[in-house]
Amino acid sequence: MMKVTHTICPSCSVGCGINLITKNQEVVGTYPYKRHPVNEGKNCLRGRECFEFLGEETRIRTPLIKKGNLVDSDWEEVLNMAARKINSLKGEDIGILASGNCTNEECKNLKKFADALNVENIGYYNHNFPKFDFKTGTLEDLENSQFILVIGDVLKDNPLMGRRIILARENGAIIIATDYPEKTTTGINANKYIQITSIREFLDKLDSEIQSKLDERSTIVVGKLDHKKELNKLYQIVSKSNSKLIPVMGDCNSRGAMNILPALDTDDLKALIESVKLLYVVGDDPVSYTEESFKNLDFLITQATTINNTTLLSDIVLPGAFWAEKGGSFTNNTDNTQKFPQIVPAAGEALDDVTIIQKIAEKLNITF
Amino acid sequence: MEPEYLLARAKDENILEKGECGGAVSSIFQYLLDCDLVDGVLNLSHGEDIYDGIPSLIEDSKDLIETCGSLHCAPTMFGELISKYLQDMRLAVAVKPCDAMAIKELENRHQIDGDKLYKVGLNCGGTVLPITARKMIKLFYQIDPADVVKEEIDKGKFIIELTDDSHKELKIDDLEDEGYGRRVNCQRCEQKIPRNADIACGNWGTEPGWTFIEIITSKGKELVEKARENGYIEVKAPSGKAVAIRGKVESVMIKMAQKFQNKYLEENYPSLEKWDEYWNRCIKCYACRDACPLCYCRECDLEKEYYEDSGDTPPDPLTFQGVRLSHVCYSCINCGQCEDVCPMEIPVARIFHKMQKKYRDQTGFTAGISDELPPLYSPEKE
Ligand SMILES: Cc1cc2nc3c(=O)[nH]c(=O)nc-3n(C[C@H](O)[C@H](O)[C@H](O)COP(=O)(O)OP(=O)(O)OC[C@H]3O[C@@H](n4cnc5c(N)ncnc54)[C@H](O)[C@@H]3O)c2cc1C
Ligand code: SF4
Ligand code: SF4
Ligand code: SF4
Ligand code: SF4
Repeated sequence: MMKVTHTICPSCSVGCGINLITKNQEVVGTYPYKRHPVNEGKNCLRGRECFEFLGEETRIRTPLIKKGNLVDSDWEEVLNMAARKINSLKGEDIGILASGNCTNEECKNLKKFADALNVENIGYYNHNFPKFDFKTGTLEDLENSQFILVIGDVLKDNPLMGRRIILARENGAIIIATDYPEKTTTGINANKYIQITSIREFLDKLDSEIQSKLDERSTIVVGKLDHKKELNKLYQIVSKSNSKLIPVMGDCNSRGAMNILPALDTDDLKALIESVKLLYVVGDDPVSYTEESFKNLDFLITQATTINNTTLLSDIVLPGAFWAEKGGSFTNNTDNTQKFPQIVPAAGEALDDVTIIQKIAEKLNITF
Repeated sequence: MEPEYLLARAKDENILEKGECGGAVSSIFQYLLDCDLVDGVLNLSHGEDIYDGIPSLIEDSKDLIETCGSLHCAPTMFGELISKYLQDMRLAVAVKPCDAMAIKELENRHQIDGDKLYKVGLNCGGTVLPITARKMIKLFYQIDPADVVKEEIDKGKFIIELTDDSHKELKIDDLEDEGYGRRVNCQRCEQKIPRNADIACGNWGTEPGWTFIEIITSKGKELVEKARENGYIEVKAPSGKAVAIRGKVESVMIKMAQKFQNKYLEENYPSLEKWDEYWNRCIKCYACRDACPLCYCRECDLEKEYYEDSGDTPPDPLTFQGVRLSHVCYSCINCGQCEDVCPMEIPVARIFHKMQKKYRDQTGFTAGISDELPPLYSPEKE
């Protein structure tokens, strides 16, 4: 009846382990997962609250279709409708937008789906982080560093990455933090805080003190960028000094999705949406950050777990599953791919997202 | 009750083989489930490996074989699992002294109904955090932690058994001097024998293949007698010498713990400046509160304050940690959970343990052991 099961925290990109407590097939709480090498049983508040979404009131439990307003529908009706619309368009008129919260398996399925339909307008919003494939530093590298430069408030935003910075400091490392606000949590726990107005300027005129400290026992942790070009600049800096770089992105599978789908910034995202007639959104809420771009769209299909701004604008809504309802794998910031199991059944008529993608494909008579 | 001692072992061959000592604990659980005296047994199953103890509720006695054996690298806590999720069940639970102390405090506060509970105690020399254990085995034993099939702490040594049956051991003192070994709160822990459970089971004073049992309550006495009558365990009397040895080991362990209390709570107690540095990095995530078996208020004062200042970090240590301190420090059982889960590596348990120790020295109230409530504690909880 009561059960404690290992999983991976879906709330940020650090990839902490966490145990879910279930009672009668319902997640009722979390329990420390001390055997997990990333966080050793420690989780931040966001992590420990991860299960609360599962029972949210705004949870979508049935397929929805727009008939004036969004109304309850059934799988047969929405799948047929989706297939009919997709069939009526050429690949170039279709866009697919995944998210950094999609599992690796979902990304792969979406990629194959897109290839089968000749859809090139596909990707996921990764804020300002571009695709990269260089080797990044590990959590052990970070903890054993003698000098650490932190861009962004990593202690606050990604506490279990921040913990390694604290451990390094306890071992005598020098920490320099930089960000926009006057004060940050990382800043007050660093040896030095540099308030900046532009990351690009900061990198172009890198402080001589920082330059002299960067060597093979140093790590740069970057939690925010203003522009994708800045990552390359950072890569040049660490390459020259033999130091390590750890980009800390936003979502639990930002890094995994990157290996499969194009990583989009805001401009790319707008361009993608504005160049298609039909958009299929899986796991993201793009309307909340770029509503303008949706004006000229003919048809919007959203696959989501809870009601959000994008589902409200959609023509059909496909109820997807939360991570604990489906299983799969996430790849964290430090390139560690971790599997997690399905722990509870999906709510109502919701389905696991890979299954939904395959059901649409079946209706279209495509196989992959 | 006068203490009563006996040696016991499983009648079931599989349990006898898989059990840590004589498999008596698992056999007693088997008896309780088979005779429908409990609805479930709360203990630990083995996850990925010997470093991965997962609390599990066993409802069919056939599954007990999976939970046999002691996991010394699994610093779990059962108190809250019972009070929050298993209140409605008749339960038997394997308790380390700190689990038993947490349960006792929760019983005193009417959060757990002791009548529904069989507390089968395990003596405890301490637990090691799983990742610390793995690092330590790699670094000091130069062994791949995956090759270890069993670990135990005996006679001041941390002993590992490898896949090829060979053993390797190092002095726990040396490992602890290097910052490895048992959790620091365990080093300070004086409760080596859970005399607040119904029975206390261990390997001190025993012979190979037997579990040493100290009977503590009349409920415990009846439990062991009935388990024997029903053919689940066999028992015999330990020699007087064995009982004496056990007593000696216990008192040595307690002396050591007191030495560590002195070390961590007095000599090396963080300075005020160091505490400032610690509280500076507190991200107010409430992990310490949520892990503390004694913090159970439904409407926590901390939450109210949290909404007031909208989560600005760092919080004022006096308002944030102060509230929790004023509520629970008299009852702190030094289980170390708060410290284990702190993302910012703040040694939270030290401050709570230090306060409770001071309080105990003044009033004689020992959290988790004494029957009454501490004279001073949060009115919210009544
Ligand atoms: C961390 C730890 C330290 C110990 N240190 C000592 C010691 O110093 N001196 C001494 O005399 N005895 C000690 N013991 C007790 C001893 O190892 C045996 O557990 C006891 O003798 C019972 O043996 P058994 O064969 O009857 O148990 P079994 O039949 O094997 O049953 C053991 C039960 O304990 C549960 N269990 C295992 N690990 C844990 C854990 N970490 N927390 C809670 N429950 C758990 C199991 O799931 C199982 O139900 C310790 C036990 C533990 C868990
Ligand atoms: S740091 Fe990130 S992954 Fe870890 S518990 Fe917090 S939100 Fe979850
Ligand atoms: S606090 Fe005491 S009882 Fe609990 S695990 Fe540590 S040594 Fe054992
Ligand atoms: S304050 Fe810490 S050590 Fe004390 S009882 Fe609570 S969790 Fe355990
Ligand atoms: S767990 Fe640590 S960081 Fe979180 S609130 Fe407690 S002391 Fe602060």
